[in-house]
Order: sequence, then structure tokens, then C-alpha cells
Amino acid sequence: MDRRLFLKFLATGILVGCAPGEFTSSPIKTNVLRPPGAIPEDFFASRCIRCGRCAESCPYRSIKILDIKHGFYAGTPVIYAEKIPCYLCMRCVKVCPTGTLQKVSQKEVRMGLARVNRRLCVTWNGTGICRSCYNACPFKEQAIKLDRLRPIVVPEACVGCGLCTYSCPVKPKAIVIEPIYAFKASK
Amino acid sequence: MPRKRTKYRKWRYLSLSAAFLLILLTPILNLYFHFTFVQGWYQSLGIGRLWIVSPLEGLESLLISKYVYLPSLIGISIPIIVAFYLGRVFCSWICPISFLHETIDLIRKKFFNFNPLTWKDKIVLALKIIWFALIGEFVLSMILGFPIFVFISPPGLVGRELMLGIIFHSLALEGLIVLLILFLHLFTRRFYCRYFCPLGGLLSFIGHKRKLKVRLRSKKCTQCGICEKVCPMGLPVNRGGSYSPYCWNCGECVDYCPTGALSFYWKRNYYLKPLNEKSKTGNSKVQNDNPLQGE
Repeated sequence: MDRRLFLKFLATGILVGCAPGEFTSSPIKTNVLRPPGAIPEDFFASRCIRCGRCAESCPYRSIKILDIKHGFYAGTPVIYAEKIPCYLCMRCVKVCPTGTLQKVSQKEVRMGLARVNRRLCVTWNGTGICRSCYNACPFKEQAIKLDRLRPIVVPEACVGCGLCTYSCPVKPKAIVIEPIYAFKASK
Repeated sequence: MPRKRTKYRKWRYLSLSAAFLLILLTPILNLYFHFTFVQGWYQSLGIGRLWIVSPLEGLESLLISKYVYLPSLIGISIPIIVAFYLGRVFCSWICPISFLHETIDLIRKKFFNFNPLTWKDKIVLALKIIWFALIGEFVLSMILGFPIFVFISPPGLVGRELMLGIIFHSLALEGLIVLLILFLHLFTRRFYCRYFCPLGGLLSFIGHKRKLKVRLRSKKCTQCGICEKVCPMGLPVNRGGSYSPYCWNCGECVDYCPTGALSFYWKRNYYLKPLNEKSKTGNSKVQNDNPLQGE
């Protein structure tokens, strides 16, 4: 291989590596969450050693491990709230060896915040009466309250476990989890 | 008649199999029997309340995130202490990739007439490359801000693949890296372990003043060169290669040595504290580390 070809390869490699895309940008988005007690996303990928013990200890198989397609985030744990939500058994925070998942109690978990889409929700748009999310919520009357049977999320108490999203019968989901705490810059 | 010596090879393969079975059975036990006493694999192994963290992953996480977490530090310290006294024994006695290499060797011996005594390594590079691999890995990770051991530390890769396969019934693409490493083994024995494994580099750096070494008795040595041929790392054992930091104490040369010139020994301190005045003057027991001077 001559030098020019090598430099070309190197330059392409660097460009591909630095280009914003699935390879370098965080996989965390609506309904794709970090496990309970996770530190902010800015530090998550650098502190996590990808040992996967959170996924192994999860009794509900909520925690999935990302593969090499996610680039730098390969091997880090995520929860797909629509598929299997977090049931807040808090086993993963006990086994994390690096403190990437900090030891928090159930009520202190902030995986995200539930958001009700009032146009899609059958109770809000008046096409029916449903309170699946209210029934599923582990913190009834604290995180989700009913206002004339219409669900209202209380941001102070919502832990973002995704049980409401999982139970929502409407498609697309009328209640989703936004991981707003993952991108709060604080250490 | 030469006395019968212990065959380290058999014990090593037993130990490797046990270590591989441990990470193979752990997810099964966790998933089907809810037995959670042992968890994880060789990136982070939890036995009850004792956590063992791989030093490479732990150090890199510490350097990149600049955050000290005590359980992680304690977990790192156990393998570091082991490597400090025994050298790179993790690689030759525990590592799952080593198990796969040895299994391939066994198959080759049975069916393809593979004989380590006549085998010639196809690609031979300088052993120093492992230091560059280690430094490069750390520097690149710190530049990128992301740990890259995820893709190039094979013990973790094998464990993660096994866990994913058993628990989620799917394999990740990283498994191709393991296959590539095993493929390279067909050309040069332990190609990846010799030249590119960052974990091996770190462990040999920690263990370069190790206590357990393979001793060469120059008086017994006939310079037949068998040890150099059978050494999986390609070290010139008959010229003092076992004293270099690259030696991983596998005992292969000890098994093959026809004259019994090679043996494991535990290096004690050079200058023992004299018990009384007599031993001070002359007769103090000093172990000889120099292979050329003999016993």
C-alpha cells in the first residue's frame, strides 16, 4: 500500500468516525431509556465498562445490550419502554461495578418523564374511556392523576419506568417517555 | 531414568475448561435457575459480594471519566495483585480466548497432523508491538472519549457473546472479531495474544517483576531449541526468554524440555535478612536469576 492510499484511508476513517450519525450520537431518544440510576448521557458511555451485568441480572429482560452498529455506544445497556418496560426491581443498580448506575431508591429513579399526547389519547380526545396508564403506574395518584378520568402526569413524581407506555392500547402510543434527565449536564 | 514430572499442559487445559464453563454456565444458571451467586464474566465477575473488575476496563473507565469509584478500584486490585506476583497467568490459564485457541490446537493435532515441534509461525512481528498496542489503545480512547476495548478486548467479547446468545438468543456482530482472532491463530500461534491484546499488554507490564518465573538451569540445558519451538509466544527460552516480561507462565516449555533444565520457581528476595553473624559473612542463600551463570 503506498502512502497516498494509506492517507486516504486514514482520512476517510477519521471522517466516518467523527461524522454525526448512529455511530457517534447517543441512542437515547423517546422510549429508548437508560436503566434506573444512570448518570447523565455525557458521561455514561465513558464510565460504563460494558460488562453487561445489569442485563444479566434483569429478571424481566428489560435491559438490552447495544451491538457494534451503535459505534461508540456498543455494549451499553438500554431499555426499550415499548417492548419491555422497567419494573423497578432495582437489581441492576446493585450489581453495577463502576457506579454508572448509581444506587438510588425506587422513588428517586429518573429515567425520563411520561408525556401524554392529548390528540391520540382516547380519553382526552373524547372517543372513549381508558385508564390503562393510570392502572399500570407503580405510583398511582402520585405520578399519574386523573382529572375527570383524563390522565395527567405529575413531573415531580414520575420516574419514567415506561409501564404506562407499555400498557397504552393506542397505536402510536398516546403516552411516551421522554428521557429529559439523560441530557441534563451535571455530574 | 528421568523422573516423572507434572504435566502442566493437562492442568492448564483443565483450568481453561473450568474457566470457560464458568462463563458458559453462569448465564444459564441465572436465567433458568435464578441462581445469582455468580454473575458476569471476565470484564466484571461477581461472586457473592466480591466483585472482580478487569484492570484494563476499570483503568480506562477511570482515566476517561476521571471519576473514582471505590468498589471498582477494589475490584481492579485483585487481578492486579495476582498479575504482580504471578505475571500474565490470566491469559494462559483462564482467558476464554486461550481456551478456544487450545481447543483448535487439539483438533488440529488430532485431524490435521499438527505438531508444535515442526510448526513454523507464518507471520512474525516484534514482540514490542504489544506495548504500542497498549499505549495506543489508552491514548486513542482518551482522544475519542470513548473506551474502545469493547471491540478489541477478546475475553470480554467472548463472555458478552455467550451471555447474549443464552439470554437473548441472538449474537452481536462483534463475534466476527473473535472469529478473526481465531483465524489468525491458524497462521501464527496466538497472533493476537502476542502482539495486539491490550489486556495482555497491561498484565505483562504489571507483572514484569513477577515472582513466579520459569527458571533455566544452564548446566542441564543442551541448547536443543525445543522450548523455543513449542513456546506459544515464540520466546527464545533457551536464551533467557522466560525471564522477559512477555512470558505468560503457561509451562509449555517445562513440559517439553527433555533434560529437565526448565522448571517453575518462586523468586524470593535477593538479599535475605541474615539470621546470625555467620550467614552474613559468606554462606547466605542467594538465588541466581541469571540464566547464563547457572545454579
